[in-house]
Amino acid sequence: MAEHISCQEVVELVNDYLDGALEPEEASLFEQHVNFCDGCEFYLDQIRTTIATVGRITEEDVPPETRDKLLDAFREWRRT
Amino acid sequence: MTEAELQDRAATEEAALLARLRAGDERAFETLVGRHYPTMLAVARHYVSSRAVAEEVVQEAWLGVLKGLDRFEGRSSLRTWILRILVNTAQTRGAREARSVPFASLAPEGDEPAVAPERFRGAGDPFPGHWRAYPGNWQRLPDEALHERETLEIVVATIGQLPSAQRLVITMRDIQGCDAEEVCAALDVSEGNQRVLLHRARSKVRSALEGHLDG
Amino acid sequence: MIAYKFLRADGTGVFTRFAWPLPADGPGAWVETEPDPCRSGIHACRVGDLPYWAGRVLYAIELDGEIVEHKTKVVARRGRLLVRVDAWDDDFRAAYTRHCADRAHEIARATGLERWEDVIEPSVPEGPALLGFVAARIAERAGGVPAYHAERARQSEWLAARLGLV
Repeated sequence: MAEHISCQEVVELVNDYLDGALEPEEASLFEQHVNFCDGCEFYLDQIRTTIATVGRITEEDVPPETRDKLLDAFREWRRT
Repeated sequence: MTEAELQDRAATEEAALLARLRAGDERAFETLVGRHYPTMLAVARHYVSSRAVAEEVVQEAWLGVLKGLDRFEGRSSLRTWILRILVNTAQTRGAREARSVPFASLAPEGDEPAVAPERFRGAGDPFPGHWRAYPGNWQRLPDEALHERETLEIVVATIGQLPSAQRLVITMRDIQGCDAEEVCAALDVSEGNQRVLLHRARSKVRSALEGHLDG
Repeated sequence: MIAYKFLRADGTGVFTRFAWPLPADGPGAWVETEPDPCRSGIHACRVGDLPYWAGRVLYAIELDGEIVEHKTKVVARRGRLLVRVDAWDDDFRAAYTRHCADRAHEIARATGLERWEDVIEPSVPEGPALLGFVAARIAERAGGVPAYHAERARQSEWLAARLGLV
């Protein structure tokens, strides 16, 4: 296993790190690097901010016609 | 409340909802539909050609859910189970439409670097692979920059342009709060694959945001 | 087991942002984590690990329960901050950074890696963690992986002596 990883490797590992999918030693190398490298600390923060921003997108409600059709289907099912 | 406690509470609430559903409670059905509709539609759209057809697939899937209610044992999340029914329905419909569903292309192929290689020092440099110039410190941005409408529009547009599988994964994980298991059920891919898809999707959105915020 | 832990200036974990109970009149409260120290758990430094994790504020920490040793950290189920290592302040951090920068120059000149010197001074403002890495990395370039570890060991000895750590 390497003694250290580069910034280029860090940006490919960010997602696995956030998902808790890195092995302990790999996560250690990742964190060590982010600890000493401001650039990668900013990048990690950018990814987190990206995720949070995406999370603000709101979704449409069920269209009324769809809702009505589904309710009809439900009532039909309930009867049988 | 811990993560585990939150999950327990959600599971209990869901079990109660299912019980009411089995008893014929319309409100319970409406709640369930509202909760899962966005995800179901997004997944269906990945498999069929149009939004109209996707909506039909969702409706058909709900029938399948109602018919199969007695079989749900709670071993997976309810959403995972619903999505599996949906995917079956969608795949059947997709096959009937003779749409070429690119299942093979769901597996991430080839290289798509998260950041352009030119932004890192090259092989001859004492520190190969390190940043040539650091990315921006977004903590220094004024709050409004991230919250203005244009920022969100760029994110929406970028997601809209992603390859279908990447779009679906980021939508499910980051907008709809699905977990990895639910995404795997929706796309019939491994956990590793869905993570690569998510990585690529998030990287592209970050890049688009960077262009907007730092450019 | 007594170990060490770097925190942010506001007393939160560097990666978790967990707000640690700080020592006031005596040790801070015990913090307990989920089982499975490989995944979660409290991370801490042995003396030899300090150069890898150099941060803003340094505490001595008492660890309890099952402790797993990794290459450059230990992970435990329970821990409590004992006392702040006051000697690790901004002046000390600057002095250590300067020491690492001087070592980096020294190694580069001694091993014909003068062209590596260009990156040393511009890195100084980024502080002790980066300069510790730069010096060790130059040592590794000259003498391979054993030289990397040897330089890191020199760094931790330098720190231990001046901070009065056991």
